Amino acid sequence: TAGNRIFHFGQCRVSMSMTEIRLGFTAIKANIQARDPIRTLSILSHPHSLHKVKSSDRCCITHHLFNFYVDKVFKHCKTEDSYINRKISSIANSFLSMKRKLRQCHEQNKCMCEEESTEKFKQILANYEGLNVTSAAMKSLGELDILLDWME
Amino acid sequence: DALLPTPQNISILSTNMKHFLSWSPVIVQGETVRYSVEFQGEYERDYANESWIPICECSLITATVCNITEDISATVAYNLRVRADVGTRRSEWGTMKGFFNRITTSLTPPLMKVIADGYHLFVELEDMGPAFQFCVLYWKKGQESRVQQKVVKEVSSVVHLDTMEAGPDYCVKAQTYVEAINRSSSFSQTQCVRAQGGTSMWLV
Repeated sequence: TAGNRIFHFGQCRVSMSMTEIRLGFTAIKANIQARDPIRTLSILSHPHSLHKVKSSDRCCITHHLFNFYVDKVFKHCKTEDSYINRKISSIANSFLSMKRKLRQCHEQNKCMCEEESTEKFKQILANYEGLNVTSAAMKSLGELDILLDWME
Repeated sequence: DALLPTPQNISILSTNMKHFLSWSPVIVQGETVRYSVEFQGEYERDYANESWIPICECSLITATVCNITEDISATVAYNLRVRADVGTRRSEWGTMKGFFNRITTSLTPPLMKVIADGYHLFVELEDMGPAFQFCVLYWKKGQESRVQQKVVKEVSSVVHLDTMEAGPDYCVKAQTYVEAINRSSSFSQTQCVRAQGGTSMWLV
């Protein structure tokens, strides 16, 4: 079912449902990943996996990544396929909903950014800006399951 | 070509997380009017240049209702609009007044059937879709202070609640819970049954 779960990002505890995002992404994953010609590069996992992020840094990285996807990625993923566009809209609006929940932790200073997480996010941005914007956005969208797996 | 009238009375009927957009028909004598629907989530409004997304199942349809459940898939504010077409003639977009957020859906109590099979108490719940869970309360009649609760996350055919003693009535009621919007329905009517040897016995 649309399972709300309590996510622990360091001190930050947020109740969120990932099910609808998962369903939406699973429906378009193959199509999106097929549009990504550069398979040797990763936006989220280069050079280090998200799994190396310390627990205390999880909230900051998640906060940054939500903003990254909402501000930079989704808007450059428009396709000629109406079905794909509708699913991307569904994911983007769900991200907006989650971003709002995480902001509460940010406002309660439970989402502190230490140097390591800042560096990690800078690396992700560098990976992103190393490609042309459409390729970078499609690749980032195609890697959404990396983020979802790491969050869960 | 003269502009067609804009579709009016655009509204949403939302029950149990099923959302239907409807509008008044545009009347053009001797012509078949067709309608197209588009939606805009908060993301499109705030981050994607106020773009609109067509719902292809409701493109150039003759009906004046569209199932938008599939596209209202986040708990944010959505805008909806409808346009009319007759041949080469077209109307302006008619936009629904105000936003729609699925958190406002109306939740009805679940249909429920309580079964006493010998000394076993079962409940059969309506399958209302993946977004729904159920909270089932059951108690011995007269012992309302000792209510027991069972949360049913996945609707299988029948749910076993308890093993009953012979004699007293056992009463059951249920409500739905939708985690995506963190809301519950009101409780269903209470149904009571009694164990009777090997036969099912109904007492409503």
